[in-house]
Amino acid sequence: MEPAILDATSEVADWDGAKQVLMEAFALSQAAARDEQPVVYVVHGDDLLGRRGAPSAMVATGLLSAARTAAIELSRQGTPVNVVAVGDATDRETLQRWISHLSEPGGPTGEVVRLDQGHLGKALP
Amino acid sequence: MTGAVVVTGAARGIGQAIGERLQAEGHTVVGVDVGDGLAETTFEPVQVDLTDPAGVAAVSKTVMELDEPLVALVNNAGITRDARLVNLTEDAVEAVLDVNLGAAYHLSQTLAPDLAPGGSIVNLASRAYLGNFGQFNYSMSKGGVVGLTRAMALELAPNVRVNAIAPGLIATEMSMAIPEDIRRKMVDNIPLGRMGEPAEVADLVAWLLRPGYITGHVFVIGGGRSLSR
Repeated sequence: MEPAILDATSEVADWDGAKQVLMEAFALSQAAARDEQPVVYVVHGDDLLGRRGAPSAMVATGLLSAARTAAIELSRQGTPVNVVAVGDATDRETLQRWISHLSEPGGPTGEVVRLDQGHLGKALP
Repeated sequence: MTGAVVVTGAARGIGQAIGERLQAEGHTVVGVDVGDGLAETTFEPVQVDLTDPAGVAAVSKTVMELDEPLVALVNNAGITRDARLVNLTEDAVEAVLDVNLGAAYHLSQTLAPDLAPGGSIVNLASRAYLGNFGQFNYSMSKGGVVGLTRAMALELAPNVRVNAIAPGLIATEMSMAIPEDIRRKMVDNIPLGRMGEPAEVADLVAWLLRPGYITGHVFVIGGGRSLSR
């Protein structure tokens, strides 16, 4: 089954923008959970470490925590929920390949795969 | 460095313990809560709803009227509206995000310019930021608090440090309301074999407010629960 994908890579300027993305993530995730559809959130790697400001950071780390919880709830039915963190140089093909990997039923779940290199030597998300 | 400290959710539980501990260290505690329990504390009370901009402004006004430097903000206020993801309502998600994340963001943005050099913000996240069954909305909000902590740690350095604490099962009224058989099961999964005490969280907050070299960090205080099966 094709995954439900939330692209949360754009910078967010304020609380209203952050809340809007998080509410969209809820609606998308709930619909996917009911349909047993895999979910992948795509975030910007810099946001996991707070480098592009608080609103964008709240979105990225909020989605990572949401993915971990959804993964726990959906693990019995084998539906994966994962996060991919991209950088400015990440190409579309690479991203699509990882989204496919992370959408395989019974595959990894509750994981974050970082396709940028900005996390090397830095804090774990 | 003592001075004024703002503690949200100060009327009971962990927030009250934090306020009492900081007061014992010589700080003037501005206790903020939406409920009416502040009258039973010795804090400077501000009974407001922090999801309302007027509530945030009222806290700021109270702080400015004190004849003391603002040395710390402790964002502790939080609520739960638990349900499995498939059963969760939009209202429950919105309410939890507004209180747990939106209020912390707005209050931090408002008070940060007034924090004295060497001051500190401590955000109360939750061990649930690592994931917890039946808490999609709460986990999302507390994960967001981690991002808020990291971003503000970068923004406010070198003058102000910003850290987060992620408590696990703490013996508060909220935890004691969990049915005893379920609570016992939860405790069985905690390597240290007991619930944490609000005073233990308060100890960590007090420690983080002292001058130090730590910023942007998340401290899990959960008795080892984040390691066990």
